[in-house]
Amino acid sequence: MAQPLTRTETAPPDTALIAAWQTGDEQAAAELVGRHARPLARFLAGAGAPEADVDDLVQETFIRAFRSVNRFRGRCQFRTWLLTIGGNVLKDFGRRAGRRKVMPLDEGVRDGRGDPHAHAEASEAEALLLAGLKQLPRLQREVFLLRAQQGLEYDEIAAALATTSGAARVHYHHAVRRLKEIVQDE
Amino acid sequence: MNEDRLNQLARRLGADAAERLDVEATARKVVQRLREQPARRPIWIQQTWVRIAASVVIVVGGAVVASPLTPGHRSGVSPAHAHLVADDLSDLSADELREVLTSFDAIVAGDSGVVPESGTDLNELDTQQLRTLLRSPEG
Repeated sequence: MAQPLTRTETAPPDTALIAAWQTGDEQAAAELVGRHARPLARFLAGAGAPEADVDDLVQETFIRAFRSVNRFRGRCQFRTWLLTIGGNVLKDFGRRAGRRKVMPLDEGVRDGRGDPHAHAEASEAEALLLAGLKQLPRLQREVFLLRAQQGLEYDEIAAALATTSGAARVHYHHAVRRLKEIVQDE
Repeated sequence: MNEDRLNQLARRLGADAAERLDVEATARKVVQRLREQPARRPIWIQQTWVRIAASVVIVVGGAVVASPLTPGHRSGVSPAHAHLVADDLSDLSADELREVLTSFDAIVAGDSGVVPESGTDLNELDTQQLRTLLRSPEG
């Protein structure tokens, strides 16, 4: 029988929770979900997941991650690794969905708070950005989101995507240049 | 739109979807699914190993069956064996070589039913000539 992870005043690091999960501690798995579910949801929504499917995609990503956690080598943070798995889950979802519209531009950017005029402008800009992201190659889109949305360093992105820091930087700059072009054309 | 504005917008992307996510419920569902759905990977690995083992059996079995049909096996002497015989000849003395040739003549005579008259002539050959003579049937 697995021993539940002993809770201390300071939160245990992800690596400790992963080790606990590997011995069968379900509470450790639940805690990892609690830590990383929202950033993962943001990433998936930014990468084009329909809002109605975000919950399912988040679950699927965690399921895949926990089942293949033995392959997590710790070269990057658990969250970064999780986000790359999320990218794969979203790609598979897009294939299954076939002709379904994977990236509804009018959803996921609604926000009922604040000034309606400012909100409308922000929504329009976000919709443009989403439309632009949709046109990018997957690698550029993911690098852009990992950098701009998640605030990760190039080294971290490179480790997660099995590339070099320089290549990640190049992908990001290509993405920014393309997004500027797309947004200006609209 | 400049890069800063793009980054600012990017940070907002998906914020609503994230806020609406019921994290505790998601965690419960994930744990429940992990508990209920056994990992399929070990089964996949097992099937893959069975396929690999079956492929190896087919390839090795096919090679064993096909090997007697190759030209080397049809002639009864493989190039490797011929090479070894030729190497062995270098170690034999003139008398031993004559003995081998005599027995070789006997074998040929047994096959053809004709007794060779060349047996006495072997005494007149030197070691090098005897070796050349013995190697000649090997091609």
